Amino acid sequence: MEMIPLSTDVLIIGGGLAGTNAAMAAAEKGAKVIITDKGNIDRSGDIGGGVDHFMAYLNEGQKWDTQEAFLGYVDKVGRGTGHFSIIESVYCAELPDAIDRMARIGNPLTQTDGSFYRTSSMGQPGTYWINFNGKRLKPRLGRAVRQLGCTVLDKVMMVDLLTHEGAVVGGIGFHIRSGDFYVIQSKAAIIATGNTNRLYENPRINPFNTWLCPFDTGDGQIMALNAGAALTNMEYMRMTLLPKGFAAPGFNALVGMGGRFLNGLGEYYMEKNHAMGNRAPRYDVVFHTLEEIRKGHGPIYIDCRHLNDEDLNHLKSSLGYDKDTLPDYFEQRGEDLRSRPVEITVSEGMQAGPTEVTGSGIKIDRNSASTIPGLFASGDACDHNRCVHGAVAGGYKAGKSAAAFASGIKHADSAPKSMTREEIDRFTAPLYRPSGYPYRQIEDAIRKIMAEHVGPMRTAHALKAGMEKLEGIERHLDEMKANDLHELMRTYETRSILSVGKVMATTALFRTESRNKPYHHRLDFPDTDNTHWCGLVVIQKKGDEFSCTFEAVS
Amino acid sequence: MPPIFDDNACSGCGLCDSICPADAIYLKSDGDRKIPYLKYPDECWHCGSCRQDCPEAAISIQFPPDMLNI
Repeated sequence: MEMIPLSTDVLIIGGGLAGTNAAMAAAEKGAKVIITDKGNIDRSGDIGGGVDHFMAYLNEGQKWDTQEAFLGYVDKVGRGTGHFSIIESVYCAELPDAIDRMARIGNPLTQTDGSFYRTSSMGQPGTYWINFNGKRLKPRLGRAVRQLGCTVLDKVMMVDLLTHEGAVVGGIGFHIRSGDFYVIQSKAAIIATGNTNRLYENPRINPFNTWLCPFDTGDGQIMALNAGAALTNMEYMRMTLLPKGFAAPGFNALVGMGGRFLNGLGEYYMEKNHAMGNRAPRYDVVFHTLEEIRKGHGPIYIDCRHLNDEDLNHLKSSLGYDKDTLPDYFEQRGEDLRSRPVEITVSEGMQAGPTEVTGSGIKIDRNSASTIPGLFASGDACDHNRCVHGAVAGGYKAGKSAAAFASGIKHADSAPKSMTREEIDRFTAPLYRPSGYPYRQIEDAIRKIMAEHVGPMRTAHALKAGMEKLEGIERHLDEMKANDLHELMRTYETRSILSVGKVMATTALFRTESRNKPYHHRLDFPDTDNTHWCGLVVIQKKGDEFSCTFEAVS
Repeated sequence: MPPIFDDNACSGCGLCDSICPADAIYLKSDGDRKIPYLKYPDECWHCGSCRQDCPEAAISIQFPPDMLNI
C-alpha cells in the first residue's frame, strides 16, 4: 500500500457519462486531466451497459421543437425546481455540440438511415426523446478520454476533497485492489458522481437491484457539502415504475411506443385519472400507481398488446439498448409483450432530481461552478443537470469551465502534498478493527428508517423522529468492520448514504408544502404553494449543523 | 447473480474483472491460468457489460429465481 502524490489541472471525480464528457472538454481545452472512478470508465455509471434515450429539441419545424417550447415544458413539469437561465447555459447552449460529439466519438444518435427516431412521454409537448442504440456509448467515451491523454484512475474511490482557505485544491482516495492511497492536487475539481441509491428499502429485495447505478451513493455530494458547498433539491425522493422483479430501465420506451398502465381489476387507471393519460409526467404516474397498490388493485401491468407489428418489433429489438439483460429477463420470466401485459411495480426510492429536466445535488451556476472556489459539478450529482442529456451537455460545460478556471490560477504551494501515516490509518481503520458491524447491517437499518420516515408520505413528526434515528446510527459508523478493500469501499458508501439521508430529512422538514407528489409529499402541507415555495431549498453545513435557506425561482 | 462463466471457452484475459462496475468479478487460479468468478454475487447490477465485452463469448446470463418469480 503506497502513498501516491499526483498533481493536475483538472481532477474529475466520477467517470460516468458526465465525468467522461467533462474530461473530454477539459482535455480539448488543453488542461491536464485526472479522472477517477470506483469502476472502469469504459463501463461505469448509469449508462455503463447501454442507454437508449436522449432528450432534445431539434428545431425541425414544429412549434414544440424549439428552445422556447422546451423551457415551457420545464416550467410545466418542474416549476420551482430549476432556474431557466442556468438550464439555458448548461444544456440548451451545449445541445447541438453534445449531439455532434456523440457522433464524432463513433456513436451517433441517429438511426442507420441518418434520421432521428423520436418518441414522447412524461408530459412532453412533442417527441423530445431521441431513441438510439447506446450499447457501446460508454466504451466509446472511455476510449475518447484515454486517447485525449487524460490520466485515468480506474478502481480508485475518492474519499474526501482537499481544501485550503475555503477553496478546493484536490482530493484523496484509494485503489480498491492494491490499497494504494492517492493524494491528488488540482487547480480545479469536478464532481460527477451521480445521484444517491441504496438509500431506501427495495421492493425487489436486493439493495443492489436498482434502476440507477447502485454504486452511485452520493459520495461526491457529501464530499462537496463537507467542504462547504451548497446543495439544492435534496428533499425530492425519486421513484419510477419498473418490471416487477428487475429494476431495469425501459419504462420510457414502453410508454413512448404507446404502452398502457393496467391494474388487477382490468382498469386502465392512468387513462381514468389524468388528462395526459399514460404519457403523464413520471411523478404523476408513480403517484397514481402507488394509490392503486395501496387500494389493493394490484398486480399492476403495462399493456403493449395493442401495438402494431412495426412498433412492437422496434420495441422488442431495442429493449436491450438501455438494459442489455432485459430481453433475457423477459424471456426467462416467460413474458411476451404481444400476448400478455407485463407486470410492473414501483421502484425503490432514491435521491435524484424531481423531473427529467431538473436535478438535485451540488448547487451550480451558469458555468457549472459550485458555491466554493475550485469546485465544479455535473450530471446527476448537481442540481441543474439531469438524465442523459444533462450529463452529456452539462458534463462538457463543466469541463470547459474547470479548464478555464485552472488556466487562470497559479499553483499554490500551501496545499498539502502528502498525508501522514496516521491520516491514512484513520481512513483504513475498518480493515484493522478486530471486530465490528458489516456495512450491510448498518445500511439495511438506514434504508428502513428512510422508507418509514422520509418516504413518499411525510409529516413533521415522522421526519424529526427519522432524523433522530439516523443520528443514532451515525454514532456507530466508526464501528463498521471491513474484511478487505472492497468492503472498505462499501463502508465509505454507507457513510455517504447516511449523510444524504440526513440531508433529505432536513430539507424535507424545511419545505412546508408538497411538490411533484409523491417525490415530496407532506401530509401536513398537502398543497403546492407557488406563492411561498416556488424555488429551491438550499442546504449547507455550518460547523456540524445544517443550515437551510430558500431561493426563489422566478 | 446472473453471470455464468464458461471455463472452457474462457481465455483468461481478465477483461470482465477489470470492467465490472460492481467490483464483483475477480480472478482465481486454475492450474497455470486465471479464470473469473463472482466474488460478490449479490452485488451484481445485471448491466450485462461482462457478457457484452467478453472476447470469447464465454459469459451467459441466468437470472435467479427470486427475480423471476416475485
